[in-house]
Amino acid sequence: MAASTIAPASYRPPGALDAARALEPYSGRWDHRLAAHLLRRAGFGGSPADVERLAAMPPSAAVESLVRFPDSSALPAAPAGLEVQPLPPRGLYRGFAQGMAADQSTVDARKAFQMQNNRTRRQNLIAMQTWWLERMISSPAPLQEKMTLFWHGHFTSSPEKQTTAQELLAQNQLFRAYALGNVRDLTLHVSQDPAMLRYLDNNVNVKAHPNENYARELMELFTLGIGNYTEQDIRESARAFTGWSFQREPDGSGRFVDHPYQHDDGTKTFLGRSGNFSGNDVVQIIFEQPAAARFFARKLLAFFVYDDPEPQLVDRVAALLGRSGFELLPVMATLLRSNVFFSERAYRALVKSPVEFVVGTHQLFGVAEVRLPELGALRAMGQTLFYPPNVKGWDGGSAWLNSQTVLTRENFANAVAQNPMMTQTADWLVPTLRTMDPQRIAATLTDALLQGDVSPAARAQLIAYLGGAGQAALSQLSGENVDQRVRAAAYLTMAMPAYQLE
Amino acid sequence: MSGLSVVGSFDSVFAQALAQTPLPGLPGAADRVLVVINFQGGNDGLNTVVPFGNPDYYRYRPSIGIPPSDVLRIDEAVGLNPNLAPFKRLYDAGKVAIVQGVGYPDPDHSHFRSTEIWQTATPKSYATTGWVGRYLDEAGLPKDNLFNGVALANVLPELMIAQNTDVPAIDALRGYGLNSDRNSGSRDAFHEFARDTTVPFRSPYLAHVAEIEDHAQRGAQELPKLVAGYKTQAAYPATALGRSLALAAQIVGSKLGTRVVYVQHGSFDTHVTQKQTQDRLLADFGSAIAAFYDDLAAHGNDGRVLTMTFSEFGRRVAENASRGTDHGEAAPVFLIGGGVKGGLYGDHPDLARLNMGNLAFTTDFRSVYATVLERWLGRPSLAIVGGAFPTLAALA
Repeated sequence: MAASTIAPASYRPPGALDAARALEPYSGRWDHRLAAHLLRRAGFGGSPADVERLAAMPPSAAVESLVRFPDSSALPAAPAGLEVQPLPPRGLYRGFAQGMAADQSTVDARKAFQMQNNRTRRQNLIAMQTWWLERMISSPAPLQEKMTLFWHGHFTSSPEKQTTAQELLAQNQLFRAYALGNVRDLTLHVSQDPAMLRYLDNNVNVKAHPNENYARELMELFTLGIGNYTEQDIRESARAFTGWSFQREPDGSGRFVDHPYQHDDGTKTFLGRSGNFSGNDVVQIIFEQPAAARFFARKLLAFFVYDDPEPQLVDRVAALLGRSGFELLPVMATLLRSNVFFSERAYRALVKSPVEFVVGTHQLFGVAEVRLPELGALRAMGQTLFYPPNVKGWDGGSAWLNSQTVLTRENFANAVAQNPMMTQTADWLVPTLRTMDPQRIAATLTDALLQGDVSPAARAQLIAYLGGAGQAALSQLSGENVDQRVRAAAYLTMAMPAYQLE
Repeated sequence: MSGLSVVGSFDSVFAQALAQTPLPGLPGAADRVLVVINFQGGNDGLNTVVPFGNPDYYRYRPSIGIPPSDVLRIDEAVGLNPNLAPFKRLYDAGKVAIVQGVGYPDPDHSHFRSTEIWQTATPKSYATTGWVGRYLDEAGLPKDNLFNGVALANVLPELMIAQNTDVPAIDALRGYGLNSDRNSGSRDAFHEFARDTTVPFRSPYLAHVAEIEDHAQRGAQELPKLVAGYKTQAAYPATALGRSLALAAQIVGSKLGTRVVYVQHGSFDTHVTQKQTQDRLLADFGSAIAAFYDDLAAHGNDGRVLTMTFSEFGRRVAENASRGTDHGEAAPVFLIGGGVKGGLYGDHPDLARLNMGNLAFTTDFRSVYATVLERWLGRPSLAIVGGAFPTLAALA
């Protein structure tokens, strides 16, 4: 058994930060290894051809090609065939909330309705997840999808409170539209987003009965973090959000509605200021707090650079956010181009999330379609799209890694390698396959999947597994056996620890 | 891991205390198991252990209060939610201790933070390990056993995060294994590659990934063989909780050396129309826990398994206008099975003296943990719960 290294106190990379030069443009050696690093972080890894294309440009042009989103309008903007959640027949639930007894035919009718309701919900969720994953795999603007995923895990909403697929889709499109937009504007839109209004109960936050759920999470998890506001600030800002609700449209979508008669018009004192504040004012005041810039800086660094970033680094990125007025594009352009981003300390310093693992593997093996069992695999890996575990989103990092999730990752990689079409869709593999040379096949696999981040011993073992150093070994096997060896070698390359890291 | 900053002082207190001499072992403690059930989302304690003898309860809850005639009476003041009938039978048999009014000072109303407080047992600082994780680290359990702790969940809960113990999180036995292990060549190669960390890059996660891959392969090879001989002998409900407790009984009954099993149930976050959700979840809990102890008893294991429930908080005393309740504070904790001296413990929180609309706690949750650690698992609690907390008489 290896020496136990479980759960160090922090996953900040070892070594010292050069804070003064951290955000200056990187000017060191530029190769396909660093181009792949950029594409893993600002996208999902891409294919070997995508990596080569970036490696052939100067780093500044490579970053520009990612932050200036190429046109992605050729992709389907919404999943096909979303159904409208059925409404119960009139009177079916009369007396239900009061716990009144119902006769057998009513109970049966309710059960039938519930089954229909659940079926629609499940079908819609499958359609939504498939659509988004396929978008991530095929989009010419991978950073647009990566940022959409970032916001999805940040401004969390889930179908738990009977939110419709159409509402969650609209929220997803909002995240995509504001992918590298203004964070303050996005926060205001999120505060008026029907899926969010429902998920955090602002639709029942009214003057007579304020509900603090949204106000609390807005500050704790979405913008400021604990310690930067008081319980009194929560109560006061909840009053400011009273009356913000939504109306369900016949097509299942929601429309934001501001009910003035349910809004508390009194004076509120919030974060040291007083006035008849609305939800809009609350968002503006929040973004005037220095804690807001630091909060987003820390979250962006932990998602794109490394865990537990140093306070000096957080402060520098926070200053960028302040200078840009929370416009994200220039901040991300600087960050993705920076010394700290391309430093050895940041390289493979993050654990791939399940979505990154699955989407990246699809891109590598040239498989555009997502099949139903993969959605189940993603759930078992701990990440169900449109279903974050709680309002805090996915913890990430070491929380992705346990026996169950790692087994599911490996079995998924095995299934991809065993896909009958693999030896054709992975076009980078085809020319080497013809050589029947174990050394060249092993080199191609470790280059494409790991950019050569493999030990000499593992490389030798992979070659031995493929039949040894000589060409003769593979040539003597039947075609079927060669095929099996290559598939298993591809899988085993993905089983190396480096493949779990980005 | 949380994104919160880490305060080092707690861990150093913990390290110092580790050097203390452990308690002399309790007789039989080496065979004992603790099962922890997390009622996720904040279960409403007032509609679980109902103070039906108190008119204030009905005043605060005109529409969701449970009528006295429906309550499963314990005494003239409190009784159980009517959906807990099988659980009430365990209570009547003396197998359940109900600790009332459990909470902690300066309660936090955030799901995340309060869950973290309950799981790390550190209300005033941010610890990187859970209280069960610290127990697993310090209990001197065999280092080569992969199943000292088992989480029946697809994400490892903070409670079981340890410094030096890898706790597998197992969603279900089916599908628990490497498909590539069917081929001996790939099995052996995986074994080597997963341990190969002599790579041309540095990553703070590399050793961790390698170790988990190695554990995952070995654990998955061993677990199905180890539990294969077990026959379930109870009718569990066909729910996630029923399946989890059936697997927990199988693990306990298969002598894997497992000391703690984590199970989760919920979500109880009943802001709107509370009754339907809570009724369903409590009914599920009642029948699943009864089946669990039937199954354990059929294998002679009921005496060596203690089950403890917890939830990140109770709920606001007054119902809200949506027939639900908002995040609150103190709530009851159940101790079930082995070692339990049945009955009510701690005072029911005073409905006439609320803390800004919430129940003030009467028993610190760390007293419950200390009780479980010292009186059941036979370990000193000081370092694990970060202070000296009195134990309760609820365990023999």
